Amino acid sequence: MTANQEYDVVIVGSGIAGSIVAYQLGLQGKKVLILEAGQPVPVDRSGYMETFFKANAKTPESPYPPTVQNPSASTPDNPLGLPDPSQENVPRYTVLQIGPWRNPKQCYFTYSPQEPHLTGDSPRANFAFASSYERIGGGTTWHWLGTSLRLFPNDFELKTLYGQGVDWPGGKDFYQKLVPYYEKATNEIGVAGDKNAMDQLYAQFGVSPTGQYGSEYNYPMPGITESLVDQAYINSVTSITVDGNPVFVTPTPQGRNSLPGERRQCAGNTNCIPICPIQAKYDATVTLARALQTGNVDVWYRHVANNIRVDDSTAEITGIDYITYDTHGGIPTGSGTVSAKKYVLAAHAIETPKLLLMSNKNKNFPQGVANSSDQVGRNLMDHVMYLAWGLAKDPVFAYRGPLSTSGIESLRDGEFRKERSAYRIEIGNEGWQWAANDPFTTLADFVFGQNNSQLNGDSVNQQGQALRWDKNLPANSQLFGAQLVNTLNGIYTRQIRLGYLIEQLPDPENRVELSKTETDHLGLPRPKVTYRIQEDYVRNAFVSAKKVSTEIFNAIGATEYTKLPPAPVFYGTPAEVTATNFQYQGDNFTFYGAGHIVGTYRMGDTKEDSVLNARQQSWDHSNLFMVGSGVFPTVATGNPTLTIAALAFQAAEHILEDLKQVSA
Amino acid sequence: MTDSTMANFIGLSAVLTGFSAKILSPTLDPVDIKSEYLPFFTQAVTRESGNPDLVNTIFQTFASLKAQKLTDQQIGEAMLADSNGADFVIACRKLIFMWYAGAWPTLIPASDTAPANTVSDMISVKSYTTGLAWQVMQSHPMGDSNYRYGYWATAPAPLSDYTGNK
Repeated sequence: MTANQEYDVVIVGSGIAGSIVAYQLGLQGKKVLILEAGQPVPVDRSGYMETFFKANAKTPESPYPPTVQNPSASTPDNPLGLPDPSQENVPRYTVLQIGPWRNPKQCYFTYSPQEPHLTGDSPRANFAFASSYERIGGGTTWHWLGTSLRLFPNDFELKTLYGQGVDWPGGKDFYQKLVPYYEKATNEIGVAGDKNAMDQLYAQFGVSPTGQYGSEYNYPMPGITESLVDQAYINSVTSITVDGNPVFVTPTPQGRNSLPGERRQCAGNTNCIPICPIQAKYDATVTLARALQTGNVDVWYRHVANNIRVDDSTAEITGIDYITYDTHGGIPTGSGTVSAKKYVLAAHAIETPKLLLMSNKNKNFPQGVANSSDQVGRNLMDHVMYLAWGLAKDPVFAYRGPLSTSGIESLRDGEFRKERSAYRIEIGNEGWQWAANDPFTTLADFVFGQNNSQLNGDSVNQQGQALRWDKNLPANSQLFGAQLVNTLNGIYTRQIRLGYLIEQLPDPENRVELSKTETDHLGLPRPKVTYRIQEDYVRNAFVSAKKVSTEIFNAIGATEYTKLPPAPVFYGTPAEVTATNFQYQGDNFTFYGAGHIVGTYRMGDTKEDSVLNARQQSWDHSNLFMVGSGVFPTVATGNPTLTIAALAFQAAEHILEDLKQVSA
Repeated sequence: MTDSTMANFIGLSAVLTGFSAKILSPTLDPVDIKSEYLPFFTQAVTRESGNPDLVNTIFQTFASLKAQKLTDQQIGEAMLADSNGADFVIACRKLIFMWYAGAWPTLIPASDTAPANTVSDMISVKSYTTGLAWQVMQSHPMGDSNYRYGYWATAPAPLSDYTGNK
């Protein structure tokens, strides 16, 4: 493909951030080129659906190319048949790689070795990163949940208010400037939300609905109907307080249609992650299509950006090099360079820093592009998650509706943030699908007489309660017929799950670097990741989450089934070591990923401690912008996508301002 | 495959799963998962047991029990009795799992570090969406809802509507 077209802007990545910027610039008549490393957006999603239906492990990545599991390649040390990342042109990290994180034949990331002599509770323990992303047209919103919460104003001043982490540049002023863009983001995504419920929530935290929300604040669609699972909590949890905060349930603003419209009305497929089969859930292909329809935006798929060129005298970016390919494991088919007036990196928080660090051939920037601060790749964060699960006393009919329709947002801020991380609690509608791989685990237990669900044996929970489902049945029962039907029905319909999204602090040692030993099939270095949870501040939130879960389950009359994780194993063969287990205050914990990859090219007030200024513009290269959750100085207390979108709208305006100056 | 083989397969499957034969094999059956399952089951059991007669033995045993006008409970207990031999019984149990999960199970024995568990291979696109696990929970396969917006705010139809056993 040749570039006869003169482009105003080149964007790397076609996910939500890159697509919003492209759309906004295209609307203003700017010529935009998107380089997308992955495969094109398919004409329809039936192929992705078939891959998903057939997949043995229905992980977030399971529908998407290249395939993440191949049963016909199964071997004893690779039972799921994970592909070798060195043989793929655009490999990515998947949750199936968390287990074999120390095996580079199965895991795309490489990891720092453990330091010697660690104990189970050592803050220096390295873990597997627990969240994944996609490298395809439309990006990772293919498998986002749809949660569309704003961050709170206080989230922007964690340092000033609570002495932890950092502030966002300008603190609360940053939030105030973001308000109109939050509105644009809410409209672009088409969020379904209940304004009254949000007013009630914000009032608890002293946020005024006039002014601080924005004058036009509302949702384009009515809120999504709450589930029967939600109803089990709504009236019963209000008896609890946590560190001075009341506990109450708030219906979640969500990027899925509550009414028919441009996209279909949600049919409750309970499959938002990994894929909404009817696109009732917004994903970035919607905005990408709008961008293309402006007539000013081109997208080149299977174009892998591999180097950024810098002018030696001006430090301006002069071009982006790319490599092309046709098939996932095929040979490179070409290469080239594209140039424009402005450049935008929107390749999410692993591949963006990787590209910056790979671009280390420029004379004055041997540490990589935009990296004079040595901050590129640092401060990698996620919402580290604590999961708790149980059985409600009466049927709540899980596995119905969107994956989550409500949450507990009332614990996201307070004076306690001086002592421990804040969290929001997501209420799951998907039974124990995430928590215990149900319906399959419980099914196998009662068909074959096993007890991995803890329902069919002598298991006792962490509160000392016996967990056998039917006290009249012997341990390890093998059922059939009506007894099997009634047992499974009684269990599945009562299954409940809570997920705590715990705010991780920025830690400069948590970082993405370039592997010195491992490459992908294009010969590009793979990410080397260092990931710890060093701070007691964050670990204290796990202790709180565990205690609060038990209080909530008690309040609603449920029986808790949260499994005590095994003790961490830091040394041994790749098959022996644990990935996400740690000890704290004498207890064993495991953490899960929220899919919120944040912080590796953060904004800040000074060029010494950040990659970008508050305009999301590189301190080092004035014609280079970056968007996406990599810009976040902190992961804060809400799911990131609405904020990613708002920041992308804001960045687009900054780029337009700068383009005016160029033409003037 | 003879008609009686399929009839025995469906009859046995109904007894063991607790679902009505009318649900497993409806009169009008455009999905026709049974025609996928019977050969799959036959091949898998034959391969795993190394006994080319085992599937036929299972069906003949079922047919003779059925002819004795026993209840479903009695037939099921007789089919799963240890006296039939381990291969016979595990084949019947895997038949249950296949109908519920749409997948073929492999049982992993307990080890020093892990309890016994089960892994499984999805048989086909169709088998996933026809799995009885989704019916026994009075719902739909994840990713294949045939309900309308808001259904999740009200209780589903009674379980008997899903199993076909009133």
